[in-house]
Amino acid sequence: MSGAGWVGAGLLLALVTVALLGDRVSGHAFDAQDPDRALETPSLEHWMGTDALGRDLFARIAEGARVSLLVAVGATGIALALGIVYGAVSGYVGGRLDDFLMRVVDVLYSLPDLLLIILAKEVLEGVLVGVSDLVRTLVALVLALSLTSWVGVARLARGLVLQAREEAWVEAARALGARGPRVLTRHVLPNIAGPLVVTAAFRVPVAILAESTVSFIGLGVQPPFASWGVLASDGFTAMRSFPHLILFPSFAIAATLVAFHLLGDALRDALDPRRKL
Amino acid sequence: MPRAVWGFLLLGALACLPRAAPPPGVLRINLGTEPPTLDWTRATDSVSIQVIDQLMRGLAELGPDLRPVPALAERWEVTPDGRVYTFHLREGVRWTDGEPLRAEHFVYAWRRLLDPQTAAEYAYFLFPVRGARAYNAGKLRDPNAIGVRALDGRTLRVELEGPLVYFPSITTFMVTYPARRDVIEAYGERWTEPEHIVTLGPFRLEAWEHEYRILLRPNHDYFAGPPRLKQIAAYMVTEGSTALILFEQGILDIVRVPPLEIRRLSSHPGYRRVPALRGYYYGFNTEEAPFDDSRVRRAFGMAIDRAELPKVLRGGELAASFWIPPGMPHHNPSIGLRFDAEGARRLLRDAGVDPAKLPPIRVVYNTDQTHRLVAQNIQKQWQNNLGVRVELDSREWKVFLKELVVKPSPVYRLGWGADFPDPDNFMSLFASYSANNHTRWGSPRYDRLVERAARERDPSRRQALYDEAQRILCEREVPIVPLFVSAINLLVSERIEGFEPNPMDLMFFEGVEAH
Amino acid sequence: MTRYVALRLLQGVGVLWLVATVTFALLRLLPGGPFDREKVLPPEVLRNVEARYQLDAPVAVQYLRYLQGLVHGDLGPSYKYVGRDVADILRDAFPVSIGLGALALGLALGFGVSLGLVAGTHRGRPPDHAATLLAVLGMSVPSFVLGALLILVAGLWLGWFPAALWEGPLYAILPALTLAATPAAYVARLTRAGVLDVIDLDYIRTARAKGLSESRVRVHHILRNALLAVVTYFGPLLAVLLTGSFIVEQIFAIPGMGRFFVTAVTNRDYPLVLGVTLVYAALVVLANLAVDLLYAWLDPRIRLGGAER
Repeated sequence: MSGAGWVGAGLLLALVTVALLGDRVSGHAFDAQDPDRALETPSLEHWMGTDALGRDLFARIAEGARVSLLVAVGATGIALALGIVYGAVSGYVGGRLDDFLMRVVDVLYSLPDLLLIILAKEVLEGVLVGVSDLVRTLVALVLALSLTSWVGVARLARGLVLQAREEAWVEAARALGARGPRVLTRHVLPNIAGPLVVTAAFRVPVAILAESTVSFIGLGVQPPFASWGVLASDGFTAMRSFPHLILFPSFAIAATLVAFHLLGDALRDALDPRRKL
Repeated sequence: MPRAVWGFLLLGALACLPRAAPPPGVLRINLGTEPPTLDWTRATDSVSIQVIDQLMRGLAELGPDLRPVPALAERWEVTPDGRVYTFHLREGVRWTDGEPLRAEHFVYAWRRLLDPQTAAEYAYFLFPVRGARAYNAGKLRDPNAIGVRALDGRTLRVELEGPLVYFPSITTFMVTYPARRDVIEAYGERWTEPEHIVTLGPFRLEAWEHEYRILLRPNHDYFAGPPRLKQIAAYMVTEGSTALILFEQGILDIVRVPPLEIRRLSSHPGYRRVPALRGYYYGFNTEEAPFDDSRVRRAFGMAIDRAELPKVLRGGELAASFWIPPGMPHHNPSIGLRFDAEGARRLLRDAGVDPAKLPPIRVVYNTDQTHRLVAQNIQKQWQNNLGVRVELDSREWKVFLKELVVKPSPVYRLGWGADFPDPDNFMSLFASYSANNHTRWGSPRYDRLVERAARERDPSRRQALYDEAQRILCEREVPIVPLFVSAINLLVSERIEGFEPNPMDLMFFEGVEAH
Repeated sequence: MTRYVALRLLQGVGVLWLVATVTFALLRLLPGGPFDREKVLPPEVLRNVEARYQLDAPVAVQYLRYLQGLVHGDLGPSYKYVGRDVADILRDAFPVSIGLGALALGLALGFGVSLGLVAGTHRGRPPDHAATLLAVLGMSVPSFVLGALLILVAGLWLGWFPAALWEGPLYAILPALTLAATPAAYVARLTRAGVLDVIDLDYIRTARAKGLSESRVRVHHILRNALLAVVTYFGPLLAVLLTGSFIVEQIFAIPGMGRFFVTAVTNRDYPLVLGVTLVYAALVVLANLAVDLLYAWLDPRIRLGGAER
């Protein structure tokens, strides 16, 4: 792996550590309010300053790492699982089923992402009853984000399967009497795993950005937790007086995205030498 | 470096020209969003009001102390039983097309407002008029049966369903303004576009660039004398932060200050603050335990130190334990529950409620930074002062509104802004039959007090009725906990002279000058 | 060729119908309606309003009426903007978004292709690292943060550009830059990859060996292949520019169509949501068709109308 790749991996490792430790790193509880110390600029005690309720911004960003990563990784995971199965079946079976499945993809693809995310999130929140409010918001958000991104994965997976189907080893397996599902799982999928892993690395940052956009609209994760997107968009409304409120969460987002991109590049060089992505 | 980049740097340098000074006489304000309509009969929202009040006037207008004073009507009288008002129109008022104002223009506008076909959302503002509600519901077919009549060109007689002392206040509101049948019927839905609209207020509509800006110029025939400005440019900048930067660049003359920026800007020479006639409260769903017990509701009310809220919000909010806001007649600051954590815990014990065993209390608000700050503060206070667990949940606006009607959560936040400055506008909200009372609480005694106050002409007796009703609402039964009264925070450019913010959040520019 | 285009357009109409249907269904599943107000409407008033907008009919009937209107080119009235038709609203707003989008597209291609060429032709050397880093940064900043930075730095502090509003070409530059950042980064990546694919291939070596000047080699061979890689990204690029315009139009106060993607939903202005969605979908369908045609033109090996697409 290249130097940049290691940088990316290192950044991510640091990030995951912070996410796991949460607000224990700075010694301030992420939800401890102190109205007398609200909106302070960074100091030795509050490394990134405090917010409007006097809460430690570093602790909130550390805690927000959990939410942001959970949402992004969750959405990407679901999108990958759904997209690979859908695309692989479509490409492998082919014919009318392929035509039909791809028309469905065309329709979803022609809907504006942002609109689909908003609609899906609100509809899902209405449907999910009987779970706690926080879980409901998170699940609705994750499902809504994955809804827009599985389509791309499905197209990619279908294309890869179509290519692989023609390759010699698959023909050989067929000749030896292996049948449909078995060929797909044993022979085709392992051979296209590389590009799929790479696409996963590139889709997590897209999900983090999408989450921040949704937060800007006001549909992000709500108290007591706050995703980075929520923190940054709250900071937007105070950017003239208290720029630290938008800068630090934005740094967190940017650093994470850079890390994923560097890692993705390195993975691609290693796993996908023919650069299908 | 690619040439394109250099090109951009060059372009940037070229753009770095001295900014032209703003033209004298031109006032540039921010509406925030596109007004949904300029048809005053069908308008409902604060942005539309902002523009319509420059273009039009009603029978009465709000005086400096927010009492109704004559405008298009030079005077009015009411019969001793309080049921019939006669308005005498000012002489020589002309529409912008030269047509004189006549009493029929009011009759037409009011019938149009009430016509079920118009489907005007604020038709209910004239429901106090005889036959109005039945006509709007389609039960009464004949528009002549509605209690509004032009006795002659300059006299308008209004018969009410029952006595109502504040009726002149209602006539300051835009949906009661006169309208022209000939214009509306000639141009249909497009009659509010600049080339068709006919108005009679201090300014006239010059241009309407949808979603971007509205231009107004003075009406030189305005009955109270033409305004001094040459033009008003009203922009639609949605983001408060962007508008603030445009103000700092000298591109906008009046902007709202985003809450978190107030601390830095409160020493700015152009900073203005007025308390608004807008109350903010937490309501209880009084049908569900534990809030079906008024002692519990009272305990939750007493466990809030309202003084913390202005500190958190920083927008010049005024902590409020009462419901009728200051600036409104019959306001009484001594009403309401005082902060008393000890007493609150005792009250819970008396009610047989063990805070530790109570399931988490769900507080729901609509997604917004201010509401979130309030909720997080109240959550902390209730947890610390009562020892209960509190869960917050936010809802997108329309989902939130739907839930309030269908199944209100145990605790919800809401606000109320005055449509016209009379306490009835605030107090009848919590009558048992009010569609806006989401608490599911009702008190025949409260209803009677509010109904009697609406008819009571003697100010001191009216005060006593409202005081008693407020004590039931805010001290004894506590279906709602008033929290604070909002404030309006504006920045006004130094080139603007004679502008004063108004507690109804209306802006008047007749006496304003721009240098 | 004509037959192929006609067939694709016909398929596009089918896609639009499904898009309208899915959006209609989702909107009606969404809790809360257009006339749920903070100040609750009395029942008789609500009945009048619903009758006016024909919301009192069963949903299936409303759906059929909507489709009937669509067939006649009628997108219906807006529920929020009293007396304005969705078609009027879009007629005002659409050109603004397209203008902004076109400028952003130009910037994205200009910056992206230049960066990609620099990176690809200097593989592994400092210019490559610098260009790659710039591209990664472009993909890593949320657009409202970038917009805020540009407004503050280039608008307020340096005074190079107007901070917001929409009064002429100069006013389009900061929003277009904000909108173009992410797509430019993707274009740069794709170009770099496209260059690396062909740079060592035989025909480029041959061209060099034939004594063609380095710049001609770059322009004719490398650039052509690099662009082929970029063209495939046109569809998603268009999507990013159109929906990304929500944030940009919102913070720069631009009267475009993008803001309706959000405000029309929060207002539950059903016809307006359907209107913007259909316009968007139509653009995506047309862009995909254009990409396929462009691809065939750039790469003669591809034949249209084949079995695989």
